[in-house]
Amino acid sequence: MTAELLDDIFLATAAIFVLLAIAMLYRAVAGPTTQDRVLAVNVLGTNTVVILALLAAGLGQPWFLDIALIYALLNFLMAVAISKFTVERGGVL
Amino acid sequence: MSLVAYTLAVFILATAVATALFRDVLSAIVVFGSYSLGMAILYTLLLAPDVAMTEAAIGAGVTTILLLLTIARTTRPTSEKIFERVNLPAVVVVSAFVLVLVSTVLGDMYAVGDPAAPVWANTEVTQYYIQHTYEDTGVQNAVTAVLAAYRGFDTFGEAVVVFAAGVAVLIVLKREVFA
Repeated sequence: MTAELLDDIFLATAAIFVLLAIAMLYRAVAGPTTQDRVLAVNVLGTNTVVILALLAAGLGQPWFLDIALIYALLNFLMAVAISKFTVERGGVL
Repeated sequence: MSLVAYTLAVFILATAVATALFRDVLSAIVVFGSYSLGMAILYTLLLAPDVAMTEAAIGAGVTTILLLLTIARTTRPTSEKIFERVNLPAVVVVSAFVLVLVSTVLGDMYAVGDPAAPVWANTEVTQYYIQHTYEDTGVQNAVTAVLAAYRGFDTFGEAVVVFAAGVAVLIVLKREVFA
């Protein structure tokens, strides 16, 4: 298997993951509860980390991984903030 | 790459429209988070690491918390309907305007790396940065090098302004957030 073909496979997989993100967007928009939306966006964040890692491999740009790491570190923040907001109304941080 | 970019454009458009149309503010904030996810990947694809990192840090972390703080201190109108009613004549007018704008402006835009682009009009300056950036700063991306090294004091000043704004907001909110 040549390196170019491998890169194309990585990029095609990244495109499929973006399609999956659009599918997951249905749950984020349709809901019905806010908890569904928060979970959907959390999955989208994990999806983003995977897409960035695949693009880093496919395009040969290792610094994409830095941005993927920032997302992996910050992804839980929204879920925590909204959970606190729902449980104790008024408290976010 | 273009395949990823086009599917990403669909994703970003869908999240943007959903954010604009949601009646419930909390849902709009959540979906806006996914909009910033898409934008961060797009910035990364366009090889703008500084912008992508800012979008990742601001979009995933700060914006959500600031908006949540805002609705925690105000009232959130609850209603049975999920989406706002769309004003069809307004949609037609706005899309016509956008169509005219895109058809007139996009055709005149230069492609990435086009030698006829205005950035090459002052070749001396452009060439200086392209040739000397790596030796001077050790940063491979010229844009990042200009922002963080050549214009370091400017960026430092921006950071001070943002810090002062944050301190001011914390004082106004009267909460011991860091306690």
